[in-house]
Amino acid sequence: MSAPALTVTVDGAAVEVPAGATVLDAARAAGRWVPTLCFDERQAPFGACRACLVGVEGAPAPLPACTTPCRDGMAIDTEDPAGRRVANAVVELVLSELPQAPGPDTELARVARRLGVGAPRWPGEQHAPEPADARHPYLAFQHELCISCGRCVRACDEVQGTFALTATGRGFHANVVAGLDEGFRASACVSCGACADTCPTDAITEVSLLALTATGSTNGGPS
Amino acid sequence: MTDDRSASTVTTTCGYCGVGCRLEAHTLDGGIASISPALDGPANEGHTCLKGRFAHRFARHRERLTTPLIREERRGPLRPASWDEAIERIAAELTRIRSAHGHDAIAGLASSRATNEDCYAMQRLMRAAIGTNNIDNCSRVCHSPTSYAMRKALGLSGATGSFSDFDHADAAILIGANPTDAHPVAGARIKQATLRGMRLVTIDPRRIELSDYGVLHLAPRPGTNAAVMLGIAHVLERDGFVDRDFVAARTEGFDELAALLPAYAPEAVEAISGVPAADVERAARIYGEAQEACVSWGLGVTEHKYGSEVVQLICNVALMTGKIGRRGSALLPLRGQNNVQGSSDMGALPDTFTGYQSVGDEQVARRFEAVYGRPIPREKGLTIPQMFDAAVAGELKAMYIFGEDVAQTDPDTAHVVHALESLEFLVCQDIFETETTKYADVILPASSFLEKSGTFTNAERRIQLVAPAIEPPGDAKTDFEIIKLVSAALGHELPWETPADAMVEIAALTPDFAGVTHARLGRGGLQWPVAADGADAPILYEQEFTRPGGKAHFAALPYKVPGDAADEEFPLILVTGRRLQHYNAGTMTRRTGNVELLDADVLEIHPDDAARLWISEGDRISVRSRVGRIELPAHVTDRIEPGHVFTTFHFPETRTNLLVGASADVNTSCPEYKVVAVDVRPLGEEPARVPALA
Amino acid sequence: MSRNLVELIRRHHGLDAPSALDVLKEAMEQRGEITDADRRAAAERSGLPEAAVYGVSTFYDDLLAPRGARHVRVCTGTACFAASGDEHVDALRESLGLELGERDADGSVSLAETVCLGFCHSAPAVRVTDGERDVIDAGPDAVARVLAGAPQAAGEPAWSSTLAEPVLTRPGDWSGLARVLADGVTPEALLDEVKAAEIRGRGGAGFPAGVKWGFARAAAGEEKFIVANGDEGDPGSYIDKYLMERNPALLLEGMALAAHAVGAAHGFVLVRSEYPRSKPALEEAAAQARAAGWLGERFDVTIVEGAGSYVVGEETALLACLEGLRGTVSARPPFPAQEGLYGRPTVVNNVETLCNVPFVAVHGAAAYHALSPDSETAGSKLVCFNERFARPGVYEVPFGVSMGRLCEELAGGLRDGRAIKGVQIGGPLGGILPAERLDTLFDFDALAAEGCMLGHGGILAFDDATSMRDVARHLLRFGAHESCGKCFPCRIGLRRAHAMFAADAPPVERGRLEELLETLELGSLCAHGGGMPAPIRSLLRWWPDELGLAT
Repeated sequence: MSAPALTVTVDGAAVEVPAGATVLDAARAAGRWVPTLCFDERQAPFGACRACLVGVEGAPAPLPACTTPCRDGMAIDTEDPAGRRVANAVVELVLSELPQAPGPDTELARVARRLGVGAPRWPGEQHAPEPADARHPYLAFQHELCISCGRCVRACDEVQGTFALTATGRGFHANVVAGLDEGFRASACVSCGACADTCPTDAITEVSLLALTATGSTNGGPS
Repeated sequence: MTDDRSASTVTTTCGYCGVGCRLEAHTLDGGIASISPALDGPANEGHTCLKGRFAHRFARHRERLTTPLIREERRGPLRPASWDEAIERIAAELTRIRSAHGHDAIAGLASSRATNEDCYAMQRLMRAAIGTNNIDNCSRVCHSPTSYAMRKALGLSGATGSFSDFDHADAAILIGANPTDAHPVAGARIKQATLRGMRLVTIDPRRIELSDYGVLHLAPRPGTNAAVMLGIAHVLERDGFVDRDFVAARTEGFDELAALLPAYAPEAVEAISGVPAADVERAARIYGEAQEACVSWGLGVTEHKYGSEVVQLICNVALMTGKIGRRGSALLPLRGQNNVQGSSDMGALPDTFTGYQSVGDEQVARRFEAVYGRPIPREKGLTIPQMFDAAVAGELKAMYIFGEDVAQTDPDTAHVVHALESLEFLVCQDIFETETTKYADVILPASSFLEKSGTFTNAERRIQLVAPAIEPPGDAKTDFEIIKLVSAALGHELPWETPADAMVEIAALTPDFAGVTHARLGRGGLQWPVAADGADAPILYEQEFTRPGGKAHFAALPYKVPGDAADEEFPLILVTGRRLQHYNAGTMTRRTGNVELLDADVLEIHPDDAARLWISEGDRISVRSRVGRIELPAHVTDRIEPGHVFTTFHFPETRTNLLVGASADVNTSCPEYKVVAVDVRPLGEEPARVPALA
Repeated sequence: MSRNLVELIRRHHGLDAPSALDVLKEAMEQRGEITDADRRAAAERSGLPEAAVYGVSTFYDDLLAPRGARHVRVCTGTACFAASGDEHVDALRESLGLELGERDADGSVSLAETVCLGFCHSAPAVRVTDGERDVIDAGPDAVARVLAGAPQAAGEPAWSSTLAEPVLTRPGDWSGLARVLADGVTPEALLDEVKAAEIRGRGGAGFPAGVKWGFARAAAGEEKFIVANGDEGDPGSYIDKYLMERNPALLLEGMALAAHAVGAAHGFVLVRSEYPRSKPALEEAAAQARAAGWLGERFDVTIVEGAGSYVVGEETALLACLEGLRGTVSARPPFPAQEGLYGRPTVVNNVETLCNVPFVAVHGAAAYHALSPDSETAGSKLVCFNERFARPGVYEVPFGVSMGRLCEELAGGLRDGRAIKGVQIGGPLGGILPAERLDTLFDFDALAAEGCMLGHGGILAFDDATSMRDVARHLLRFGAHESCGKCFPCRIGLRRAHAMFAADAPPVERGRLEELLETLELGSLCAHGGGMPAPIRSLLRWWPDELGLAT
């Protein structure tokens, strides 16, 4: 006996969703775009990027769509101005911590383009560039591109079940490493590539694609 | 995650294992730029493993065969030839041999890696163009016992459900399989299910990775699976877990089984198998108490002398408790190759046509003859082991093998080589030179899964589309084209333009595939049986079993000792299997970056045995069986029980299968790879100096 | 929270395995550093995968700074800052020739920062660990004594109650639990009484404890937990420290009563590692309680020490820390009352909140309401004052008293004839009231109306010599340093905000700052990033000319 479906409205259009669906599920079901960076449909929602804030009637402030459960009758506004201001600000902050612009094909770059966020206006500290770690035949780390969205760690946990990756450090210097920061090969990694598949910035990417990255920068791996 | 760095993306199905991941192949400049998992793949749901994801560069490896090769004299060198010359040579030789020695002097071996349409074409070539039922495929050496047993017990040769049944199971038994290595995406799914609370019982002489996530691990002596399954059945019956209504309404033969069970009390099972009686009890209760439970097995069940009987005993347990025909309660044999299910479904077997319709069935045979326009023999043809025996005996003169490296993967390598050398004519159709092509007179360069169109059928009976992402290199052709060319040269035109056309014929001749068309398969495939209106069958046996009378059959089969046993001269038992990074003979994976991750077969040995034999980690050791001897490095580990050793067969240099003898499943001839008595010692030692072993 | 990691930990916990954090702390305490061998051992013993253990080892302050034979930890909390700016820190850095987080070449001495030691009443504070000796010295000459090799244990703060009958400062005597058991008060009845008493959480959020207990009681599952949040990380606050060290029985009784109402059989107290005396005091009280039969079969407790992280005071991060994971915040739902410690329904309450329960159990909801006659808020509150005041210490007061009365009458105004420039209430994420606004009442709504909060009740004064720009920089540095690193606004935004107030930064563009504050307030995953804007907004409102704003 499963719980009954809910009906909510998204930008004025009614849509039916199963019990337990999140506001983001409803928006996607209604075909409406909500910016996300830390969301991957293969993983449980995480709530880290805060780019998915949307307006919900009756709520005093915009709510994160990916972690807010739907209630029957909820009215959702995916373009709530305050929510979009936060989304734009978050994307701009994230761009500001990277030493170079993300590759144009990355999810981060695509979200930034769609939101109309250009070069970040934040001077100040960035992740220190380092040579790409390509000790593994297939998987490469470019640590300075990591935005700590957690998707790779969660892919290795919730999808593959190998637990070879971890977030490391705290605050601004948080990053991701494999095993005891020993690289993919020496860690428990089984090379399934789920991490590279989900990474929105190419902080983890395929070695063979490093050469194809069209950022025009000298940073990042073999030419 | 589609990547705009590629020119185009083709959705296809992986050519490695029986999970059948749907993949997105991103191409650039005629090559594969990268591969990512399809989010909507039913078996993989946006995930895949290192083989499907990364191990695709073999397709453009410099060793790829790109031109036909002909060997003018035995043991002579190969020289390039044109397609016309090669095909003419084949037609001439096969025709000559057929005239001189009869149709049955020729045998064919279809590749379980190739598509359904390729295999169907091959069996039609053998039956119609050559006129023999001597056609087999490599399911012979892996899951033929499963096929036999499930048809006998339930009716159809295939899993009764899907991988997703694990998501709805409260408990599961996994016996003789190591999916986190051999079916990684299925292994990952099972692991997640255990973390959500599914109670897993693993049964294997080694502690596999999933044993650490399960609630109970049984480590029976190799060859004693039957006793364990009978013990579980005993406890289920004794403790009231039998679903009497189900047994009465939907099965037959329970009484004979019940009469056998008293002999398999847990204490008796412990004496036979070494599994503590209390664990047998617990395993049965875990299964019996579950609302929904699956049983899954692999080659650790089938590759035994009585493998086909153990599968029947597995079916018994599900039938006794009625845990079948429902979501969450399924029997899931983990088919190894990407299309081992399909190659058998397509009739590349000596005793059946498509859909397991018997060659001896007059009505069926007539239907096929009508379409083929040729007479087809009613007698069964030769199985692979029989082919080798017949070759050695001088009765089989020619073989046409495509996509299989029997000299590396079949048991008793010495015997296989002798057989191949005894043939007058051997045609090999493959993507690389192999141990087997060393004996070929003509070698035809064929296509990999990335270069062909057709369908594969995965372990869930799911027929999925395969689409070419790149062209075969050089002058290589697709297997489909090649078989058509050979068949035509033999005087039998195969009347299909494309593999899709072949599928139309298959559907017309096979009630279980009646509604299958390439167009209908779409992105999610269809699980056969597929009705004419396209309705497919995710769950089998919801209402009835496809046996005469609609009832399932219990098998009352007692435990019998395996074909080989440890003795003074050969005191350890060798089990062979797979590792994550490589696939079987390693033909494809050894030509990719995977070789950087794992580059040799090693022998796993327990610390107690290693100490007794003066073996340390990494030492090169010799392993000797009744039929052969190999050398390889040792890996000391306590995940294996004392008395057993384990190795893989991924590297031709190791020649692991030299060790495996002739013992095979009594019903299907599936070789007993899992019970080989061996002697292990550091290299260079004479027998006289080895201390007496306990 | 990774459900899988929590499940793996739960399975090992059932086998009495230590948490990975326990093993790592042990290694740090024994050898002053953590190696990969320690991490592997922690993985092996705890059941946590190696990579996850690595992540734990790089998260907590206590695991990061290498320790010499003599380990000097200087407090950089706001009370110590209010007392002596950065001087005490600089003095130690210069004299020892070490940066914060450094150990000298021969391993004899190391310097690290710590926030906060709870000696705000006699700031600045310095902790010296030398073999078995672990001394916290505090006061204007503390640094000198430490450098001379002769630190003196600082005295504990004074405490008193302004109520007719002390409630929170009255030693716990188990009379509440005694009455409940003797009178056969059912769990439901006790729960109803607690709900009627409207005990609001004292840790800052102010959420009604009874409502939280009700959710946990109703949640499915046999196994439930009570967790006391003793991670009082707010600089300037030493209220829970007082309760845990001087009135531990009251806390344990509160937990036992919560367990009765909720249906829990076990409880945990997470004690911050910066309060080395708290765990021994609690364990002593627990031992006595067991001997007397108040703890045992029915309900028992485990005292767990933290490892140096402010955010672990947030309830989901706290549970992660108890499990030995990185102390990062998890999105809610699921709420701990449904899915908490080891995935089981868990009540997480602040220490002071739980200490309110015994009174209700004895005297009932009406009497509890009557404790604050001038306020709608029920019960009494402990407040504490920093070293700048003439009479710092812990005071029990009713709600509804004016801030001015608290600061001037109770705490005696500032010492040495100084004037109050501003008062930050409730912790580093609380708003700041200027002297002219001290007529504001000490109560939830009244303070909120002024952009302030009750928070945990710490009352911290900045004197007239303080630069408010320095305060901004200090608070933002603390905020950035303590950010768990999960959510983007806080992780990056606090860093950017701190940089705006750097000594060599260009003038602050107010518009950019306001945007950033909005992003933090609306976007942050928890009250850390979400609360940081409040004090900055107070500074912008009351002292804009001191902040270096662009014109």
